Amino acid sequence: MDLALTESQELLRSTARSFMEREAPVDVIVGLQKVESSLAPDLWKKAAQLGWLGIVVPTEYGGSGDQLSDAAVLYEEIGRGPLPGPFFSSGVLGALTVLEGATEEQRRRILPRVASGERVLTVAITEPNTSWGPTGVTLAPQGRNGSYVLNGTKLFVADATSATDLVVAVRTGDGPTDVSLLHVDARARGVTARRLPGFVSWQCEVTFDNVEVPATALLGGAQRGWAALDRALERALPLLCAYIVGGCQAVYEKSVAYAQSRVQFGVPIGRFQRVQDHVIRLVNHLDSARWATWEALWKLDTGRPAAASVHMAKAVASEAYPEACNAAHEVHAGMGVLVEYGLAAHTQMSRTLFNYLGDPRWHKRRMADALEW
Amino acid sequence: MDFEVTYTEEQQQFRREVRAWLETNVPADVQRTPTSPEDNYQRYLELRAFGRKLGAKGWLYPTAPAKYGGGGLDVDYAIILEEEVDRLDLSLPPYYDSGGRLGSASILVWGTEEQRQAFLPAIYHGEVRTWQLLTEPGAGSDLAGVRTTTAVRDGDEYVIKGQKIFVGSDNGADRIWLIACTAPNGRRHENLSWFMIDANLPGISMQPMELMGTGGEGGTDSGVKQTVFFDDVRVPAFALVGGENKGWTVATTHLELEHGGGGRIGRNRVWDRLLRYCQETKRDGVPLTQQPDVRDSLADIYIKTEITRLFGLRNFYLTYARKAKSYEGPQLSYYRKTAGLWMTGAILEMVGPAALTTDPTWGSSAGFLETQQRNGIVSVHPGGTTDIQRVQMARRIGIGRSTREKAGTVHGAEA
Ligand SMILES: Cc1cc2nc3c(=O)[nH]c(=O)nc-3n(C[C@H](O)[C@H](O)[C@H](O)COP(=O)(O)OP(=O)(O)OC[C@H]3O[C@@H](n4cnc5c(N)ncnc54)[C@H](O)[C@@H]3O)c2cc1C
Repeated sequence: MDLALTESQELLRSTARSFMEREAPVDVIVGLQKVESSLAPDLWKKAAQLGWLGIVVPTEYGGSGDQLSDAAVLYEEIGRGPLPGPFFSSGVLGALTVLEGATEEQRRRILPRVASGERVLTVAITEPNTSWGPTGVTLAPQGRNGSYVLNGTKLFVADATSATDLVVAVRTGDGPTDVSLLHVDARARGVTARRLPGFVSWQCEVTFDNVEVPATALLGGAQRGWAALDRALERALPLLCAYIVGGCQAVYEKSVAYAQSRVQFGVPIGRFQRVQDHVIRLVNHLDSARWATWEALWKLDTGRPAAASVHMAKAVASEAYPEACNAAHEVHAGMGVLVEYGLAAHTQMSRTLFNYLGDPRWHKRRMADALEW
Repeated sequence: MDFEVTYTEEQQQFRREVRAWLETNVPADVQRTPTSPEDNYQRYLELRAFGRKLGAKGWLYPTAPAKYGGGGLDVDYAIILEEEVDRLDLSLPPYYDSGGRLGSASILVWGTEEQRQAFLPAIYHGEVRTWQLLTEPGAGSDLAGVRTTTAVRDGDEYVIKGQKIFVGSDNGADRIWLIACTAPNGRRHENLSWFMIDANLPGISMQPMELMGTGGEGGTDSGVKQTVFFDDVRVPAFALVGGENKGWTVATTHLELEHGGGGRIGRNRVWDRLLRYCQETKRDGVPLTQQPDVRDSLADIYIKTEITRLFGLRNFYLTYARKAKSYEGPQLSYYRKTAGLWMTGAILEMVGPAALTTDPTWGSSAGFLETQQRNGIVSVHPGGTTDIQRVQMARRIGIGRSTREKAGTVHGAEA
């Protein structure tokens, strides 16, 4: 047994950390919160140069084909920001969905440009019914002269306002998993993406108004979409969890530092057992999310059956991040709700990711299914 | 025991009178969520104008002594007023007036007769809106640690210097209810004093703070807060309330009320709207209220709002019946705050991401759920954190210190 990071992972961690400290300090993160598109072009280019966007893309498609646990080191560092931007949407979920679902020709066409950051993918699954299962996919394209015509709405699509390409889950049959994936140009006529306003980070509404896409837009085969998504999600979710772990870690560090430096009643507030209790609650959530995530990553990287661990990791991480933020808010009181301090960006992200790609209840049920109880 | 207020025919007549009056006098659409900064200010002006009309009838501060311009009404009549205003999603006062509510109560208990006559009528008539200024960068929970805002006596005046944070609201104030340090080298608890001052004096400036919460005028909280700077502000010595360096004693009244000691009656507006939302929103063709998971969560949320209501009702009763109180004030505050924070999670799980957006199509009406998602977190801190409420409860229960602490006085000079 060895639960330590490898040397190359340590190296990646320190490179990523200094990049984040240089390029995405708190004021940058806070400034980004209000922009319509989560993609900051300069940052995106630099990240592309570092190979971040192709980290899970196999070398034959222009990526670096790293193990998921290597990528997780990176995603933890990004999550510390929390750095917004379609890193996960495009570089992980988008890329893995294409990898799992597309034909060889399509992969060769799409993936290299995703790995280079030239194209930005996002996967549009959810609809107004906000169900994360295949039955929630009801958007059904009509056939016209061998092409597909789309009319309808996808909702809570991550980072759609910065995407150049959409992978849209559509219903193409009556069976529960009769779902196919269409590759749609996000700038095509009739496609509109809009960031939803509120206490939510870059979840978007995407509407399709008579959008015509050619037959070649079908990724892989018809009705194979859900199975492909399932495989892609199994590998993508732990990286989303790693991003969350990074978020919890940052919130924890902020809270410890604040508890040590903020003085009330003549002593650092960390002396008060009530404040200690908040920090302890926080670190328990952080560590739960961390170890659940890392074991799932290890199982995936070593080819072990991982479904139950992956669902557990997302259930645990989904709950951990908001709870960690709540505890941090208790530690900080007034300071924590001051937007410029940076905790609020985590709080909003923690609420956003709670539901994204399945809320805890959904994943607990999938976990129970996977464990065959 | 009787949990219901029984009304006499005369009181029922009063209710009809109030309802009819409100129908003609509540400004149209004043409950709206403002659409722009201008509209926000406009709405504030409408609320203030409405406040003055209420004030003229003695209905703005219904139980305040009539001889200082309050309503002088019995509690039963005040309850009727509160209920009728609450029906319209408004409260008394209908705008943020924390310094008016808490300052006037403190002045009734600790002010001189001249000060009551000088300060109270304008508050009770709605002619002024007042903020409460306590918190400083170095003094939050540790209110007794107020140091950086100083007031130094100079002839017939005090000269105030310093800075307050997390105070006030949008749209400015007419008066300020302020605690400052009047003896920088004095002993703890013997070096503070309260002042009721004009908010527009030379040397006072303010700067808004951007917070995670939202919401403006109306009710006891404000989502907008300011940093207020005092740069050699000269105020008449008459503004000092309760005696120089007696500020800690005066603060017991202020804090007791702020911590929930006065209690509250009224509906829980979030609950009403949440229930309606769940009845009207369907998932897979079935209303949310008919889904087993949602029913379970709704039941839990309902219970928490009911317990909060009961604690508020109890404190209200204890106050008006002049019964002894101990830990009940901080208990209400603690329970309300922890329930609100817990509810953010319960609602998010139950409703899903629609709870997070203000989008007119995909969010809840006027984004009320999104507001709860933010404010359930932010509201944990004002008026004493949940930790401080627990410290207070323990001391008053008798397990915090060797001598049991008493609740602050909230009853002042009567009409
Ligand atoms: C939305 C909002 C509105 C506000 N409105 C006003 C207003 O109108 N007027 C005004 O004057 N102020 C206002 N405040 C300030 C508010 O009163 C303070 O934020 C609050 O008292 C806490 O102080 P603090 O933020 O400095 O936190 P701190 O006092 O620094 O507390 C930090 C942490 O230490 C804990 N702690 C501190 N002392 C102890 C102790 N003895 N035992 C155990 N734990 C302890 C706290 O519980 C908290 O967890 C407002 C704040 C907010 C967020």
